[in-house]
Amino acid sequence: MRIIGFDTATDDTVVAALDGDRVAFEFRGSAGDGQRPTHSADLVPAIEEAAAALGGWGEVDRLAVGVGPGTFTGLRIGIATAQGIRLSSPVDIVPVCTLVALALSLDAPADAVRVPVLDARRGEVFLAAYDGSGRELFEPSVGGPADLFGRVASAFSDPFAAGPGALRFRSDLEQAGLDTPGPQPESHRLSGSAICRAARTLPVAPTKEPIEPIYLRAPDAERWIDRRPGAGS
Amino acid sequence: MTESGPTGFGGTTLAIETSCDDTCAAVVRGRRILSNVISSQRAHERFGGVVPEVASRKHLELAGPVVDAALAEAELTIDEIDRVAVTAGPGLIGALLVGLSTAKGLASRRELPLLPTDHLQGHVAANFLEPEPLDPPFICLVASGGHTLLAGVTDHSGFEVLGETLDDAAGEAIDKGARMLGLGFPGGPALQKLAEDGDPDAFDFPVGMSNGPGLDFSFSGLKTALVYKCRDLGEEGVESNRADLAAAYQAAVVAQLVDRLERALAVGQWEAVALGGGVAANGPLRAAVADLCERQGLRLKLVPMALCTDNAAMIAAASNWSEPLPWPEYLTFDAFATGERA
Ligand SMILES: [Zn+2]
Repeated sequence: MRIIGFDTATDDTVVAALDGDRVAFEFRGSAGDGQRPTHSADLVPAIEEAAAALGGWGEVDRLAVGVGPGTFTGLRIGIATAQGIRLSSPVDIVPVCTLVALALSLDAPADAVRVPVLDARRGEVFLAAYDGSGRELFEPSVGGPADLFGRVASAFSDPFAAGPGALRFRSDLEQAGLDTPGPQPESHRLSGSAICRAARTLPVAPTKEPIEPIYLRAPDAERWIDRRPGAGS
Repeated sequence: MTESGPTGFGGTTLAIETSCDDTCAAVVRGRRILSNVISSQRAHERFGGVVPEVASRKHLELAGPVVDAALAEAELTIDEIDRVAVTAGPGLIGALLVGLSTAKGLASRRELPLLPTDHLQGHVAANFLEPEPLDPPFICLVASGGHTLLAGVTDHSGFEVLGETLDDAAGEAIDKGARMLGLGFPGGPALQKLAEDGDPDAFDFPVGMSNGPGLDFSFSGLKTALVYKCRDLGEEGVESNRADLAAAYQAAVVAQLVDRLERALAVGQWEAVALGGGVAANGPLRAAVADLCERQGLRLKLVPMALCTDNAAMIAAASNWSEPLPWPEYLTFDAFATGERA
């Protein structure tokens, strides 16, 4: 199977092309420190390169797109691009949870429970747990790092936590007693080929329906309105 | 193929517009609209205003169906589209990026040319479309919840900003006034309806900066005046004077718009006037501008409502007179938010 996979839910833009087990193309674009992410500028050129690496669009069997959780604007750029490509020419799209792909990107001990952690901003993390094959053990959640790390630590023995959120909340991780690689960013990064690998066994999205993002958080305005007296109907 | 001659591009353009809270797609051939699909997001009503994150989420859900509907209504397939136009800004950045990403994915997959288009140029270019297209020179007053400007249009590919708002947009002022009088969002139609039973002379509201010579607009003083008036009247006083307050407040907004338009007409050589933006739906504004044009012997162009409010046909129309970016030049193209562009 030939798959193009991409994700824009983290600060990085990752794109890859997989031909069977062979990685034909792998790209990562990152904004400089403190810069706005470059998803919109980086994504489509890299997708075109990925298609070329597989021998052209005619050779592409599937498009795998990371659907979050992550930054709202970022994940929408990836999903909208996938939808645009599908509007142009029919192609199977496989939505992939960004946390699964991150779990499959990690260099973890083979039998360890993998806990991918993303920085959810506002002092919170997105987190889930999977086994080595990507089977979900703890559903994608958002919350305070101390709370979520504590819950994962008590649910599994020796879970292995990594990702941009693990880097950011390293001290909370250590306090909860979770195993985590060193602070080098390379050990915590999402890879485009992991998106492709995850998509090999996941279902294809219905053709005429919008691809559903995994936001995990309601828009702020909705949360405020729900807190008003008499709200909730 | 000349793109910017007097007749513009004559081929078939698919356009996408997502700069605010309407998800829009259209197919336009030359000056003829083959379809113009607008999916208004009712989701914002309960918030009393447009919420950017809610708008972006809705755009992502609606973009695909809206493009499909635009093609279906035009009875065309994607194979028959020559190029893709999309609003690049100004607007809500998260909302714009949904439309731009959709358009880039769509155009790139077929190696079609892309036309990133200015939203305000779109409002001006709505007038270039059939039936009875209006060609430059003309003055276009664009007033909506997001923008208020006087555009001096001397050619198809651009306009000169003769005046613009220094604070609130006209539609924003109307929405805020409507809210103070207990009306829902968007406030325009409700305010106009309430005002029909009121006397516009019952209260005296300031017509912003009416003594200065400039062509710029200001609505914040008017809004403040209503706040004070409501405070002075008290809850019961407001309740028993709602229709008069609505009529007087609306009249002050309209008076300022018409006043600036009249000043702009006095300093240039113009033969026609056009209205654009959601506020162009306002009955008293239309009547006052029609009256002004009749007095001055000017042609008045009023496009249908679907071309006044945000729509994608106007984006296609604007793109007809701009240079397309060929594939793959546009692949790295990014959107710009309101106020971001120099
Ligand atoms: Zn507009």
